[in-house]
Amino acid sequence: MPDTADILRLESLQVHFPIQGGLFDRVLGRPAGAVRAVDGINLNIGRGEIVALVGESGSGKTTVGRLITKLAQPTGGKMLFEGRDMTSVQGLSALRPYRHRVQMIFQDAYQALNPRHTVFDIVAEPLRSLRLVDNATQLADRVSEALASAGLNPPGDFFARFPHELSGGQRQRVVIAGALAVKPQLIVADEPVSMLDVSIRAQILQVLVELRKKHNMALLFITHDLPVAWLIADRIAVLYLGKLVEIGSADEITFNPRHPYTVALRNATPQIGANAGRAELPALQGEVPSAARVPKGCRFHPRCPVALDRCRQEEPPAIEVGPKHLAACWLADERPCST
Amino acid sequence: MSESIAKYPHPGRTRAIKNFLRQFLGYGGAQLGLICLVFFLVMAALPNILVGPLQTAINATGDFLAPPSGDHLLGTDEVGRDVLNLVVHGARISLTIALLATLISLIVGTTVGMTAGYYGGRLDVWLMRLTDFFFVMPSFVLALVITPVVVEVIGRGQEILGFRPSLFVILVVIGMTSWAFVARIVRSQTLSLKERTFIDRARVVGSSNLSIMARHILPNLVPQIAANGALVVAGAIYVETSLSFLGLGDPLQPSWGTLLSLAQRAGAASAGAWWYLGAPGVCVLTVSLSFVLIGNALDDTFNPRRRVIP
Repeated sequence: MPDTADILRLESLQVHFPIQGGLFDRVLGRPAGAVRAVDGINLNIGRGEIVALVGESGSGKTTVGRLITKLAQPTGGKMLFEGRDMTSVQGLSALRPYRHRVQMIFQDAYQALNPRHTVFDIVAEPLRSLRLVDNATQLADRVSEALASAGLNPPGDFFARFPHELSGGQRQRVVIAGALAVKPQLIVADEPVSMLDVSIRAQILQVLVELRKKHNMALLFITHDLPVAWLIADRIAVLYLGKLVEIGSADEITFNPRHPYTVALRNATPQIGANAGRAELPALQGEVPSAARVPKGCRFHPRCPVALDRCRQEEPPAIEVGPKHLAACWLADERPCST
Repeated sequence: MSESIAKYPHPGRTRAIKNFLRQFLGYGGAQLGLICLVFFLVMAALPNILVGPLQTAINATGDFLAPPSGDHLLGTDEVGRDVLNLVVHGARISLTIALLATLISLIVGTTVGMTAGYYGGRLDVWLMRLTDFFFVMPSFVLALVITPVVVEVIGRGQEILGFRPSLFVILVVIGMTSWAFVARIVRSQTLSLKERTFIDRARVVGSSNLSIMARHILPNLVPQIAANGALVVAGAIYVETSLSFLGLGDPLQPSWGTLLSLAQRAGAASAGAWWYLGAPGVCVLTVSLSFVLIGNALDDTFNPRRRVIP
């Protein structure tokens, strides 16, 4: 029997984009490579749960969001929504019920809003295209309700505005209202606050937290910012080069990280009043390797400060290091993993 | 949908239109172009009120090739018709053909360009090869080949949608040969638009491809289409004039090109009848120039960065 406690289940989901080799490669019979953008992810999201997906740029976190919202098609693995296999469902009519339940909040609110549509049209678009309303009055009511939930009050004042007439925070609220209008059960938020001023950030996060409280909406919060993730999420999943390296409760990941990458991420966060001097921030060496050339063994070993020989040969499995706390590191059991 | 929108005024939209007009009319070229255009449009709309019915050899009133005078402001032609009368009636034919041909060109070009750009892949390749084919097709040869066939099939003296057969052929040929240019521009713009995040959002909220093209891409293409449409009209007027000059026009629905052709055959140039050649010539020049001016002003208004470096 499928586990229906989880609203969404990703089972070794992967996206490999093939690299077209040149004519020379093909003549020589060299195997075509692939960009392993997402390389086998297992992740569950419970009803009404907020899960943060943390990773640096190039880790594949946006691709995960696009897979869940069906903007991209996985090349392997499975995606179950409420126990139903959604992996290969495609086409507008087949996806309509899914779109009704899963919505997305985009990173760049200015880009995500058509400059030629009014706020009313933007928020009404999902209601119209998913045919969730019968008449104009109902439509106006639902739009008002969504705008109010996103904190745009009074909603009527915003109906006739265009995106360029709004502030950055208001724009992001419109994007949120557009996702809320259909009352989804899961929202994928792709860096919803990274483009906003710090002062507005807190307000937007507050809106998201309240929505969860009110509608028991699950949220996959994609971010590169560990403190923000800790602030909002119940659980945090850390993504590195297309694979989850650590997953656990927000407190565990933030205060008791077991994977050296998580440790490095946490140490790289500037803190006001930190003991270390002002200009000293232990930085991780090097860049994320290209997803077209994933290192052998543990994918983090070239940058890992505590890498062993074993790490260069064998890929570590996810080891349970605490209650519901998994880390994919050979050293995860041996504490302390200090860097 | 429209009822609910109608309840709320669109201060933003009105303001945007006002801004656009202020900027657009700020260009001297746009003012000049619009004034000329309005002048000729009035001419084309009310020829009978302005100069009476179209004169023919039967009801011609003047002398042969009389120079401009009080009775005939632009002189007369070789059978005594008033040139002003002919030019004003010609405005209707010339402008109608040019505008309808442009309409065909814009509709076909936008549809092909947007479909190719939006769907991409093999469809894009095939549609663009088709576009290339029409791109290199010479309108002159095409018109010269098609006209006799159409006249033969339809029958002399018949009309198609109110046009004499040869004029209808000119209309269709101009439409057919000018859409490729529009299609290329629309396609390139669509390629960049479809990567924008709001298209992703439209997909996530469940909009169909058709609705994405109609409600998201097309409105954002309007500036390009409008600016290039004005240039297509200018081109269409030239091609229409040239084809009519070559003898594809129709004496019963004379356009400016037909008048030029008649003048040339009547030996107006060697007879010193400058008014006969000059009147339609200046009209063609002025109208196409005003469309070019308007097109450039539209382009500058919508895309001010384009002309920073001269």
